Amino acid sequence: MSGIVTVHTPKRILIGKVGLDGHDRGAKFLIRSLRDAGYEVIYTGIRRTPEQIVRTAVDEDVDVVGLSLLSGAHNELLARVAELLKEEGTEDVVLLAGGTIPEKDIPHLAALGFRHVFTPGTPLSEILSALERELADRE
Amino acid sequence: MSDLVDKVCRGDRRALARAMSCFDSAGRTEPALEAHLRRSTGRVPWWGFTGPPGVGKSTLIDALLVRLRRQGRRIGVVAVDPSSPRSNGALLGDRVRMMRHAVDADVFIRSLATRRCQGGVSDATLHCARLLELAGYDPVLIETVGVGQNQVEVASAADLCVVVLGPGHGDDVQLIKAGLLEIADIVVVNKCDLPESRRLLKEVRAELAGTARVQAGRPRERQEEDRLEGASDASGGIEVVGLEAKSGRGVETLLQQLLGLDRARRTAAAQARRTERRVRGEIRRRAESVVGEALERVLAGSVAAGWVARVGRGEFPLGSVIPELAASALAEVQQREEGER
Repeated sequence: MSGIVTVHTPKRILIGKVGLDGHDRGAKFLIRSLRDAGYEVIYTGIRRTPEQIVRTAVDEDVDVVGLSLLSGAHNELLARVAELLKEEGTEDVVLLAGGTIPEKDIPHLAALGFRHVFTPGTPLSEILSALERELADRE
Repeated sequence: MSDLVDKVCRGDRRALARAMSCFDSAGRTEPALEAHLRRSTGRVPWWGFTGPPGVGKSTLIDALLVRLRRQGRRIGVVAVDPSSPRSNGALLGDRVRMMRHAVDADVFIRSLATRRCQGGVSDATLHCARLLELAGYDPVLIETVGVGQNQVEVASAADLCVVVLGPGHGDDVQLIKAGLLEIADIVVVNKCDLPESRRLLKEVRAELAGTARVQAGRPRERQEEDRLEGASDASGGIEVVGLEAKSGRGVETLLQQLLGLDRARRTAAAQARRTERRVRGEIRRRAESVVGEALERVLAGSVAAGWVARVGRGEFPLGSVIPELAASALAEVQQREEGER
């Protein structure tokens, strides 16, 4: 379409908290920062099941799913999310995790398909540039 | 594309979600998909929910979903939140209030950002509502961004308009001002557990007493429809319902009224009228945006600079440059249209 200035369509990101964990200050800081960085953020709130997260990701046609966990149940819950997403045929969604996750568990989560695991103290700039790299090759 | 449409019709959620994204930032969709959607939808009335931020629109929709599900209905929801004018980003948080329906196969909720569109509803909203209808969801509910006094665009998109109010938005003079109340088929006063809300309920009832729904403030294209369909609502007046969305008290009353109005809008004649109204609204919005952009370009150009200077010196009256400006803008629009083909 010649002569038309194509406006950049914002990417859509789901941010949610899975399992029994009500600490959402980190998640809320992140959703504000992502909004300010130009993303459309779908926030699911706290204490969600993997099923709720995956259904929301499908219905909202998101590019990225970012999950925050501070409960210690990350291995089980994140594995379930990855498995359900695969069942839905949404392998192209970029998976991210964040929270109090020990270093030794990160390879396991990476094998499940989590592209990045952000542990406490990660600077915001690192999260934003990781996102940019992950989404760079999409139209 | 036809493959995608087939999947949507067969109830494939992922295809439906994908098709909703097939609407670019300039407001265009695949011509084949658009034509198909226009041909095969219009039967289902859309219920619009509007009102100031924080009055409980999402919570009310959540409560209605519970009751509609008990009746075995499959419901589609489009919820719109504002885009940041600075970053173009958005926080879409309406569905936080509706998460108990997230795994229900018979509820489909889609969150949208306004993306530079004013008036609380965008053409992307209509695109999503049409797709929900095509996929068999009935009714389709549209939640607008929290709106203020004069953003009444939802009235030309939705077929039933619920205006939701809550306490803390000023005295009864605010109600008398023109705007939101005039587009309502039903006015809901939420949070009626609070004394301020009960007072507001009285004020709204007093304000609307004897007001027929057919009135000068309604969008022109709605007046004829009101007149034709008004016969079904015995009173012809605007219903006012006080309720507590959170506890569910009073929600059943609202639902019964909504279903009554919904039934009255299912005739072939009503369908033809709303199709015409929607298309007219879409054409107007697209025209405003295309012509507005062309005007901006002409005004920024060197020819306009001469007019601006001469009007500034008092050599020309302001109005005298308008026909030339409009003609130049028209030439711009034609040129671009040809460039696209």
